[in-house]
Amino acid sequence: MRGNRIGRWIIAVPMAVLAIATVYPLLFTANAAMKTRRDYILDRLSLTDALRWDNITNAWTSAGMGRYFVNSLVVVTGAVALLLLFGSMAGFALSHLRFRGSRAVFLACLAALFVPFQVIMVPLVRTMADAGLVDTYPGLVLAYVAQFLPFTIYLMASYYSGIPRDIVDAARIDGNSTYGVYGRIMLPIGRPALISVGVLDALFCWNDVLIALLLMPSAEHRTLMVGVTSLRGQYSADIPTFASGVLIAAVPVLAVYLFFQRRIADAITAGSTKG
Amino acid sequence: MSVRESSLLARSAKAGRPSRARKTRPVSDRLAPFVLIAPAVLILVFFRLWPLLLGVNFSFTGDGERNGTAVGFDNYAELFGDPVFETALRNVGLLVLLLPVAVAIPGLLATFIFLRVPGHRLYRSVYFFPAVLSPVIVGSIFNLMLAFGGPLNQVLEAAGLGAVDWLGDSRIAIFAVVAVHVWATFGMALVVFLAGFSTLDPALLDAARTDGASLPQTIWHVIIPGLSRTIQFVFVTTMIGMLTSMFGLLYVMTSGGPGGSTYLPEYYIWIQQGQMNRPALAAAASTVLFLLMLVVGLAQIAILRRSGKED
Repeated sequence: MRGNRIGRWIIAVPMAVLAIATVYPLLFTANAAMKTRRDYILDRLSLTDALRWDNITNAWTSAGMGRYFVNSLVVVTGAVALLLLFGSMAGFALSHLRFRGSRAVFLACLAALFVPFQVIMVPLVRTMADAGLVDTYPGLVLAYVAQFLPFTIYLMASYYSGIPRDIVDAARIDGNSTYGVYGRIMLPIGRPALISVGVLDALFCWNDVLIALLLMPSAEHRTLMVGVTSLRGQYSADIPTFASGVLIAAVPVLAVYLFFQRRIADAITAGSTKG
Repeated sequence: MSVRESSLLARSAKAGRPSRARKTRPVSDRLAPFVLIAPAVLILVFFRLWPLLLGVNFSFTGDGERNGTAVGFDNYAELFGDPVFETALRNVGLLVLLLPVAVAIPGLLATFIFLRVPGHRLYRSVYFFPAVLSPVIVGSIFNLMLAFGGPLNQVLEAAGLGAVDWLGDSRIAIFAVVAVHVWATFGMALVVFLAGFSTLDPALLDAARTDGASLPQTIWHVIIPGLSRTIQFVFVTTMIGMLTSMFGLLYVMTSGGPGGSTYLPEYYIWIQQGQMNRPALAAAASTVLFLLMLVVGLAQIAILRRSGKED
């Protein structure tokens, strides 16, 4: 560690190169989305000569990205709302209420964290089909809720278990029922955790492709990520429109990331330091 | 959690019989915990637990004409006789070999950020950002970057090195996909490492500095032993990520090709279920994947136990 100064600057060079390698592919895509087809074929690397939005509008309308965008928005909103509701209810019950089987439920949630979707996907499709839920919005919403609920419960329970019992007891003495404690105390207190978990759950659902491919087969029900995969075949000769579609799918995620950066990182590391 | 629960149990045991206030609570309130937990339990039982049991059972039944009849281990026999599944398992082996690299890269970068190289704050957020992008978006972007007539080959040709068929050559494609996966996920491991660093005893680092330890010496003798738990955690999560979250990349970048060379178990399951209409065979592959994950999990527990003894 001696000769600190110079050593640090030498390390900083490859790190800066890596940082550029991290950002460049996305900038390249944004640049390609602004080019004309002809420009892209002539030179892939050159900077676009103008900010052209027609590829974006083309992807949004004729490639159907607009409709897929709305589909994704509906499904993600529904799934996140249910995840936060059920997750906070269960998290509160598991951390502050004593009842038969609470330990079993908590352990089951932990175990479920380690069972990947791929392991249950074949029979899940059959279960969904039997219930008439394939290719429906409620079906996909339920599948997402089932997939990310253990994670949501785990984070909510560990947040709530840090809340002193006295607060709950005091609320009871004030005449609140258990539901009152949940609605008037736990939900408002849980706000920071609900936001962090909600953002992560929204990212997980928005980014998923496997579950949506399996459960939403018809073209008009495609989510945005499935839509992007279908663009590739359709627009293999029109890279700027393809790049525009990719950009449309990436921009909301980037906006969320810039806004909630710290919370996302904290929520992800919560599992590693506590476990 | 468990410590808290057991202390609560101990407290109630000391109190003897339940208090009067508790007894006079209305029935609706005594049922409240069950009402609060019910939606979560119902959803998990119906959409997680039930399919898991069904799936194992399912893998011992037939497909197509033999649908629903018990076939013993036929599916497993077919699975291990299938050269495509063999490739998928061989690729898992390759991932295990590449695992130390995938862990060392974020570990080293986290070390540098922790030691406050110039610009460390910026690096932290820049490196993390691909981790929030969907594998579909990452795969699509690299489809463009790595296309035969794409920008990377344009650069290579301009430098006189000649174009490489990154995704079309069966010897290269799997490495290209794994590299993209590492590009997309190393930020996640980096953040976990940084959280681990914040628990490291600064006195040890200061001692190393005053003793005049070099950077490699500091890493080897102070940082790695101090972070053993974090390193193990990253090993397991990275392995799980490689086994279960590369579907989007494979689907978009190679579709398992060329020549089936980029298959992984999860992609095999998808093809058998979604394209080949062989759900029972897919269920058997799922069970194999589950066992693989179980081995990873148990290995983790074994390592944790051993290091726990060393502490």
